[in-house]
Amino acid sequence: MPEFDSAYRVLRRRGEPDLRSLQSYRQQGGYSALERALHEQTPEQVIQLVSDARLRGRGGAGRLTGEKWRIVRRQQETPKYVICNAYDADPRSWAARSLLERNPHQVIEGILLAAYAVGATEAYLMTRSLFREGIEALQQALNEALEAGLVGRSILGTTFHCTINVFGFDIGFIGGEETVQIAVIKGRRGMPEQRPPYPAIYGLWDKPTAINSLETLANVPLIVREGPEVFRRLGSEATPGTKVLTVYDAVPDAEPRVIEVPFGATLREILRHAGIRRPDSELRAVVVGGAEGGALPVSLLDLPFDFDPLEEAGAIVGSGVIELLPAQTCMVAWAMERTRYLSNESCGKCVPCRIGVKRMTGVLEGIVSDLGVRSDLDLLDELAGYVPDGSLCGFGIHAPNAYKTARRYWPEHFQMHIEEQQCPTGTCLPVRSHRFVTKHVLP
Amino acid sequence: MALSVRDRFTPLAQDGHDGMVRNEVGQPSFTLTIDGKVVRAYENQTILSVAEENGIEIPNLCNDEKLEPTSACRMCLVHIEGYDRPLPSCNTPAQPGMVVRTQSDELFRIRRTNLEMMLSDHNAYCQPPCQVDCPTHIDIPGYLELIAKGSMKEAARLVKEVLPFPYILGLTCPAPCQKACRRALVDEEIAICRMHGHAAETCLLDPPVPFVKDPPTGKKVAIVGAGPAGLTCAYYLALKGHYCKIFDMQPQPGGMLRYGIPEYRLQKDMMDRELNHVWELGVDLQCNVKLGRDFTIDDLFAQGFDAVFLAIGAWTSNPLGTPGEDAEGVVNAIAFLGEKVEGKPVPVKEGAEVIVLGGGFTTFDCTRTSLRLGAKVHTAYRRSIKEMTATMEEIEDAEAEGTELLFYEQATRVITDEHNRVKGLEFIKNRLGEPDASGRRRPVPIPGSEHVIPCDTIIPAYGQKPDRSVLDEKSGVKWTKWGTIQTNPYNLMTDRPGVFAGGDAQMGARTIIECVAQGKLAARSIHAYLNGEDMNEVARRLELEERKPDLFDIVPYKPVEPKVKMPMLPYEERKRNFRIIEMGYLEEQAKREAARCLQCACPAAGQCDLQRYSIEHGLVDNRFHDGEPSDYHDYEVDLSHSFILRDPNKCINCTQCVRVCHDVIGPDCYGMFGKGFDTIVSTPFNVSLHDTDCVSCGACVQVCPTGSLMMAERKLTRYSFALDRCIFCGDCVEVCPHGALGETPNFELSFFNRFGPDVTLEKEDLALAPNYLVRQRLPRDKKETPMMSPLVRPLPPRSLRE
Repeated sequence: MPEFDSAYRVLRRRGEPDLRSLQSYRQQGGYSALERALHEQTPEQVIQLVSDARLRGRGGAGRLTGEKWRIVRRQQETPKYVICNAYDADPRSWAARSLLERNPHQVIEGILLAAYAVGATEAYLMTRSLFREGIEALQQALNEALEAGLVGRSILGTTFHCTINVFGFDIGFIGGEETVQIAVIKGRRGMPEQRPPYPAIYGLWDKPTAINSLETLANVPLIVREGPEVFRRLGSEATPGTKVLTVYDAVPDAEPRVIEVPFGATLREILRHAGIRRPDSELRAVVVGGAEGGALPVSLLDLPFDFDPLEEAGAIVGSGVIELLPAQTCMVAWAMERTRYLSNESCGKCVPCRIGVKRMTGVLEGIVSDLGVRSDLDLLDELAGYVPDGSLCGFGIHAPNAYKTARRYWPEHFQMHIEEQQCPTGTCLPVRSHRFVTKHVLP
Repeated sequence: MALSVRDRFTPLAQDGHDGMVRNEVGQPSFTLTIDGKVVRAYENQTILSVAEENGIEIPNLCNDEKLEPTSACRMCLVHIEGYDRPLPSCNTPAQPGMVVRTQSDELFRIRRTNLEMMLSDHNAYCQPPCQVDCPTHIDIPGYLELIAKGSMKEAARLVKEVLPFPYILGLTCPAPCQKACRRALVDEEIAICRMHGHAAETCLLDPPVPFVKDPPTGKKVAIVGAGPAGLTCAYYLALKGHYCKIFDMQPQPGGMLRYGIPEYRLQKDMMDRELNHVWELGVDLQCNVKLGRDFTIDDLFAQGFDAVFLAIGAWTSNPLGTPGEDAEGVVNAIAFLGEKVEGKPVPVKEGAEVIVLGGGFTTFDCTRTSLRLGAKVHTAYRRSIKEMTATMEEIEDAEAEGTELLFYEQATRVITDEHNRVKGLEFIKNRLGEPDASGRRRPVPIPGSEHVIPCDTIIPAYGQKPDRSVLDEKSGVKWTKWGTIQTNPYNLMTDRPGVFAGGDAQMGARTIIECVAQGKLAARSIHAYLNGEDMNEVARRLELEERKPDLFDIVPYKPVEPKVKMPMLPYEERKRNFRIIEMGYLEEQAKREAARCLQCACPAAGQCDLQRYSIEHGLVDNRFHDGEPSDYHDYEVDLSHSFILRDPNKCINCTQCVRVCHDVIGPDCYGMFGKGFDTIVSTPFNVSLHDTDCVSCGACVQVCPTGSLMMAERKLTRYSFALDRCIFCGDCVEVCPHGALGETPNFELSFFNRFGPDVTLEKEDLALAPNYLVRQRLPRDKKETPMMSPLVRPLPPRSLRE
């Protein structure tokens, strides 16, 4: 059993000392990392520290943050930008709002360190406009930091300048995509851009831009303050450090539980730490990764929570949401709901995601309505390969995850709906009266 | 949280300028490999543009060289060595030493599925398959629209442009058009054929003339045979101003129309009214003269005719071909039908027992005529119902009227009595073997299955052949090995110059509509011959025109509208009389049926990239038909603008119009709206284009890869250019989307970003600037971004040509 209690590095639990005011944050050692970096270290040294800590992006992609910063640093073009992604694409993830609300200064310090490391003087914090409390706490913290000379011109009396713009917007799921945020800052419709070229080379206003999630940035002050060795003490070998998760129990309208756990802890341990103790027989699946995540059977509850093991099993770290599905869940219906939700959240730019996911939804709806035929599964498998291969951004790449894991772990649910025209759990109601058919009139 | 793919970062091109050399004007260039070919590229050039410059085609639907790439269509994906996923070539800069593959099975599959996806929500109809499948290529959507509007005479006129007898064909045509009707994807096909019959019926006595008749040319054409092919040829030649004279062996004109088609399908008095349209054009007719008996081709040229058209038809019935075929009671099918029409006594009496052999139209004409004469009829065929060439309606009708259908029956021997009179017919059972050359499965007899059906009359209706005896070797006209007249397949001229042949005599016994189509083609060919054109050139031209275009299926989304059934004479009222069985539509019914037409005629067909790529990718079917209404979009079309017509149903969201309007022209009339599947390119707040800041430049139409944006028809005006007032600002050059003003030496070269700091570059500057490249993406600073007002300012309504 890993040490869960010492794993709270960025997230403040209720009952712990309040860090929202500048005074209390500084008492806990806040901004000492910034001071040290500005006064004692070169930007390259800061990047080296982050690289040594092997800090991986918490936004879901798991890239090495140090590598990304090094590329931005190396670019000749100026100005450079830092964007802090505090958007939380998945509305069921509470990570960003909790961090902003309870620990805003640590995020600000992380942004400043990132700006110092890559050589940026302008930073953006992109968040959902509906995170009222989080934005208020953040603005208050920014004002305090500004008055204390921690943000703005000549930070801590050095020649380092950095302004932080807070940008609240709400355009649905796709707003969490990094290039969408660049488009939104530019005043364009929120649609992703093709990578490569990566934002690290060709980002905001076509300049080098470091985009990191707020959780990644919140970890940076700790690395600079305590050193990479201390940081690496928690977590797994491949992914040191911790992850903020939002856990939902297997009951309708379950309250989200926001926890921070070290990477490498098993799903079972994580659930227990979140206070959920259910016998395996009450559960159908554990969904890891949020709306774009995959469902894993109960037999995989001892899987460690880490990038590679999860991806091998078909799920993703994604938005850090872990949900439990009760035993009476029909996985075909679940996959249909997920795919339908995502088909409405696509930005509509590229063809595979806009139409491919919609067509997958249509075929799945047919199966749920007991109109399916065997060839529907071949069609779905084909589309589940085509959509990720053809899609422009990560949204499309992960959109078929729900179908793929449901089909991989619960093939009998599909069989039963198609062969016996019956729901395996007796819970499905028909949702459509026509299935797709192949037709052609021309000889 | 951020969604992204774990992908390793690209090595930077700027890092090591490996392999970078400067070309003759100093631009840094390097080489890379595309499809195994080493090609030269410039810095910041995309893979797509390098490939295009080197003649390597990569499909793309959303790229235009004057626009920033968007990589939305996912058609230009290519494999780049070192990357797991295929990447869009329109957005990926070429780099030294890159190895690119543009073709693979995986890419082909992705591209084809992309196209299938786009077509599965493409609520539009490309080319009308009905028009392609009709041998005469009538403008079917056109006349159906006219009928739906109630303009019957105009509809008839439109049909008569290619088909002189819409009334007759409306009753007798097997309607190949209806088999191709795309409405069948929604519910049932449209009664296309019966529709022109109805339109023509309303104006039989006051016929429209398709074109103004040309003044007389003084040329004379002799036409042998007054059947559908001959009459059609005469009709169009007469309209061209040539004098035509028709010679026919029968006492009355019409050929097989009169002597082969029974009265209950086509009333001869009504037919004569439509045939009158030919005589009204000044065509002469001489009946009761037969080629070979009364005159020869040489006689015709001696009489001063400049050309001869042989449309002698196929009047010789194939014989029974079994022992005893000369017995009394074995009846020639064509003679039987002809005698019935002429009112002569026929060999089938009331209460007789008749066996009709065959499975074509003549077979069922004989069957149903015999039934109406009060006989008991068996219709026997060697194969199954599927192989019958008659239409299913015809077969069903015959069965309902009382015939007995026998399948897999092969006649082997006629049973006769002592007076050589037919007593019965011996059959042997067949089974189907391997398909023969015609694709139909060859019947193979089953030994020992012989049996006899008693009868007193046998009508073999196995098809007809032209009468070869009418033309001897002296005529200079040759026969093919199938017993038809040999001609050039496209210009229909025989080996003897000036002698043309068409219809059944040239094709073998076929349908009326095919004969009409040949008559029409022959008229054009003869007209060209009379004008002294090179006949090889004419053949080439006609071949090109008749070439079948590639078509593909798309999912139409339209609400179901039941077919208006043709009112038919009830079966019990068909006994012992020859009353017409199709009673005809009422005007209101005809309008309702014609309004079901999907009008599947896209003006962009032929210029549409989506169509071209779909055909190239062999997209034969779409797997997403017949879903729920929410699976497709049915948008309103916007026709409010004077010059630009918008049909969002054809939009594939490539956003080329959005980008060209924003980045090149400036008014910013378009944007993407909605989310997910319902994303669509439209105007701000979905106002009509007329109410936007549109400057009517047409750049959006020019870049549109489909028919979603089309130029309205416009009258071209010649504008005068006041040289004394021009300050050579170059604005006109810059905005002209067609480059019409681009290459004059007085104007400066303009750059696409008119708001940028360096708008124009002199030609000399251009040559000297080593880093300048046309396709370079310009870094655009925030301050310099054009600020477009989001306000919609509706303009006051104006007239079309204000």
